Amino acid sequence: MKARQITTLIRILVLSVGVALALSGVLPLLIRALADAKPSIEVNFDNTGPRQVEDTTQKAIVRDYSAAWQAIAAALANNNQAPLRQNFAGFALDQLTQRVKDQQSNGVKTRIIDHGHKVEAIFYSKDGSAMQLRDTASIETQVLEGDTVIHSDQAQIQYYVVMTSAEDRWKLRVMESAPGK
Amino acid sequence: MRTLILFLLITAVCWFAVDSANAGDLRLPQNAVAGQPISIGVGGDGDGTLYLIGPSQVIKRNVKQGNEVQIPGEELRSAGRWIAILRRGASQSETFWVNPGPPENLSFLARPSRVPVSQQNAISGTVFLFDKFNNWVLQPVPVNFNLSVNGAGISRVVTSRNGVAWIETSSASREGAAQFIASVGSASVRRVIQQVASQPCNLRMHVSQRTQTRIIVETDPVRDCTGNAVPDGTIVTFTQNDKKGRSTVDARIKKGIARAELPASDNAMISVAAGYTLGNELHVGGGQ
Repeated sequence: MKARQITTLIRILVLSVGVALALSGVLPLLIRALADAKPSIEVNFDNTGPRQVEDTTQKAIVRDYSAAWQAIAAALANNNQAPLRQNFAGFALDQLTQRVKDQQSNGVKTRIIDHGHKVEAIFYSKDGSAMQLRDTASIETQVLEGDTVIHSDQAQIQYYVVMTSAEDRWKLRVMESAPGK
Repeated sequence: MRTLILFLLITAVCWFAVDSANAGDLRLPQNAVAGQPISIGVGGDGDGTLYLIGPSQVIKRNVKQGNEVQIPGEELRSAGRWIAILRRGASQSETFWVNPGPPENLSFLARPSRVPVSQQNAISGTVFLFDKFNNWVLQPVPVNFNLSVNGAGISRVVTSRNGVAWIETSSASREGAAQFIASVGSASVRRVIQQVASQPCNLRMHVSQRTQTRIIVETDPVRDCTGNAVPDGTIVTFTQNDKKGRSTVDARIKKGIARAELPASDNAMISVAAGYTLGNELHVGGGQ
């Protein structure tokens, strides 16, 4: 009887270890897949002023804002500035580049798991060169020291951004998070 | 079996106790402002590491038991959402907000750089406000816009909304380099908008010379409707119609006047136009 119990216990232990191993392999893959996927972005252009947003510009903004968030996630997760250059300019590029450098020198990384953005275009300049967006983003943020997660939180964060037209795309030029109203 | 469960329970309790002792508590500032010093209270026992992760920077500090961590103003440069993480065995973390400082830098987009006079809402100015660390100031701030040519012009105060203030205004009736200035407190940015003459107005021409083989026509000084001289280089088109057909000459204004040489004709109708302005017509030949 006792021997049988021990056998059952060992079986359970082996099974638990197996499940734990499988999960430890699959979870990071899943997280990476989620991080690499294009974030879902809904933009409302109905209340934009003083100029109406053209159809082609609407499509370009959705495409390029989404690409900008992908670039942020990639840059902060790998401490690599390269993804930022294509999608950012001006102050936003300077600030994110500095963040990547600081992360590198302090031995931390940030993993962003993007759960989607509800965006409102609130200003489109008369000359069509700059657009301001207000984004309510659902973001899960994990901070890693080496491979250890030392912080994790999920929050709705409000971002204000300015995008300006560049040679072949809209680039994110200014970005700031603000407490939600 | 019981012994095993008891052993596991004791281990869990010890683990929890060690964690609780290490964790301590973080006391974060409620109204932090970029450029101003903050202090972060760290409770609990033992030494550890404090990470402060902001939108554009990461600050790392070693902390000792019961000490306050001081972050000087020049180091707290980034406004927005910050994460404070205390590493002492286990980690404890909280988020806090840093507000931007007062506006000290303006980003001023003035369009267009060259504009005809007396155009309705032809000039626009957009200002984005930043503090000294280039954090975007989202709080409402009154922005003063001033547009003047030779001392005369308009001045308007617009309160920024979500970090942006903008105006739209008409160009003045006199040509010249308009000074377009946006200012907040002691910070100001100047742009120059060249206001140029508008479309020609009351375009008139006359025959200045006539020979056996040619007719030379020239305009009076070409001006817009408010009397500004239309810039040299502007194209004026002279068209001659007679029984041989049509002759067209595109002439540039030179020293305020456009001039063209047309083939001689004993019965021709000559017209002049510039842009969408039609001038007078001349009948050449016959009795003239």
